[in-house]
Amino acid sequence: MESQDLIMDGDLQTLGLQSILKMLALSGKTGTLFIHSGRETLSISLRKGLIVALREEGVNQPDLLTMLCLMNRLDPQRAQALREAAQGNMQVALPLLVDQNWMSAAEMQQRLEFAITQSISHALRWVNGRFAFHRRVIAIEGRMQPLDVDSVLLEALRQADEWEEMGEVSLTRATMARWLPEVSNDVRSLGLSQDHIDVLCLANGEVPLQAMAMALMIPEARVARILARLLELRLVEVVDTALEGELQQDLTNIIIMSQHTLAQQRQNLAPDQHLIGLIKTLTQCINGLLIHHGTYAKSLRGRGQMPVADIVNYLERRFAGPLELMAKQQFPILETVSFANGQLDCTEIFNLDRLVRGEQLEEFYWEAVRGLAVFLRTVFTALLNDEVGNSYTGRQLNIVWKAFLTEIDQEIQQYQLYRAGQHAQQSRSRFNDSAFQGDVNWKSAEQDDGTFLRSSEWQRRSI
Amino acid sequence: MIEPIPTVLVVDDSPTVRKIVQMTLQREHIRVITAGDGLSALTSVADEMPALILLDIQLPRMDGYTICQIVRKNLQFRAIPIIMLSGKDGLFDKMRGRLAGSTEYLTKPFDSAELVQTVKKHLAGWQQRMPPQYEGMRTRLRRRG
Repeated sequence: MESQDLIMDGDLQTLGLQSILKMLALSGKTGTLFIHSGRETLSISLRKGLIVALREEGVNQPDLLTMLCLMNRLDPQRAQALREAAQGNMQVALPLLVDQNWMSAAEMQQRLEFAITQSISHALRWVNGRFAFHRRVIAIEGRMQPLDVDSVLLEALRQADEWEEMGEVSLTRATMARWLPEVSNDVRSLGLSQDHIDVLCLANGEVPLQAMAMALMIPEARVARILARLLELRLVEVVDTALEGELQQDLTNIIIMSQHTLAQQRQNLAPDQHLIGLIKTLTQCINGLLIHHGTYAKSLRGRGQMPVADIVNYLERRFAGPLELMAKQQFPILETVSFANGQLDCTEIFNLDRLVRGEQLEEFYWEAVRGLAVFLRTVFTALLNDEVGNSYTGRQLNIVWKAFLTEIDQEIQQYQLYRAGQHAQQSRSRFNDSAFQGDVNWKSAEQDDGTFLRSSEWQRRSI
Repeated sequence: MIEPIPTVLVVDDSPTVRKIVQMTLQREHIRVITAGDGLSALTSVADEMPALILLDIQLPRMDGYTICQIVRKNLQFRAIPIIMLSGKDGLFDKMRGRLAGSTEYLTKPFDSAELVQTVKKHLAGWQQRMPPQYEGMRTRLRRRG
């Protein structure tokens, strides 16, 4: 905006937003009013004293199309097509919705009016900041009917009062909440109102309070009140995006490290070495996850620097039980595995070659691999559910985790095929009554019968 | 309101590495396409004209060094930064990567923050490197903020 267009400017402490808007409306002005406070900027376009458009900068704008999808008002394919046609501009997307008969013109007007009221109500609470009124109106591509300043101001002030009445609250318009994973009872039995249920449905950890208000057309202050109640009832939790980012990075690094160890152990050609390599990979991964959980477990958060003994106790309380159960029910070899300082200690398995040899040793290793693979899954599932639950971060990490598990499964499957081949060869030898070579070499098995024994990827690596 | 987003091609035979890099870079608003072997990687380079390539060395059908050399010999694609991702951290391997034309060499296991930092460093000015015939690809837009 050029400086010659500037009609007036000043400090919000000298002249409040309410007074400025009233003044511009009474004098029937045309132009754009900019209000700056911190990182946020609000621009209100006026034509002959009526509000024709509003734009907020410095805050993430809610994606109404996604909201409508979440509310089952629009299917995702249609939303995507509209998003592309509107190039992400909501002022364009809303009229397109009306053109397609997916929204009535009245609802569009109501939604635009609501959004403007919300933004002005938010700006009315700014204490520090500056304003500037320019002669030019910013070109807006919307189809909104001009709004009377008085009626918008009245509602905006009422909503601002609602925020003030709430007193000290930690919730802001950027707060995101998500369902707690342990909620299993029917929420209808809690006697929640329809508004509470609607807010609860949108609390998926990705929708900020402001967007919920916009989608449901419930004032932000009321949504904040509802969320506070849902928090009290322990139905939702507030999402800490910074913590989740850090947590995701840490888990990602553990998976990268484990995948690297897995790739390195693939070079082992002897079957027992291959199994030992797998045991090392699985143990390293489990221990990495345990260290991670000792830092990010929900019940250990917000308690400052915890004594190591408390963390160790927590980890053992959480995971020693499932390990013991697996040892009793499925994999007796896991009885030799213990917890030491919150870490899995597999020394006894690694020292098994001092006690047994040959086929029996391989059998023990094989059981340990299967048992640890199951335990690894148990640890990761429990950890992810506790730390991030069914959130966007949780789902993303699950995708990566599944890819890593597939690689582990391929290694296990490869050994299973080797075993099957070995058994077939034993049977054949007995049948032919020929001298049986008891210890089939891992490498020679690949050379003799590679297509059967090895996955194509393994063959490629050995080439 | 809207701005173009860069595309990064991740070439690695491990689905885990592909998914991890994809997830990590998508968080930074970078579009990621992936390839699991050398030949698919070359097809993706020609079809998508990525702004950067993250390339593993040990790949099925064609190794990373060969892909790097092919890309560097092509006038259209030679300006694309190539970051080699490898489990081999010897000086010889790094030299070989450099001789093949790689821009940078990252050793596995890499730190995800280091990966983001390196990718961002080499994505600076990516739009200027795009030949005009790939203008259409810039239409993949994202909403700012």
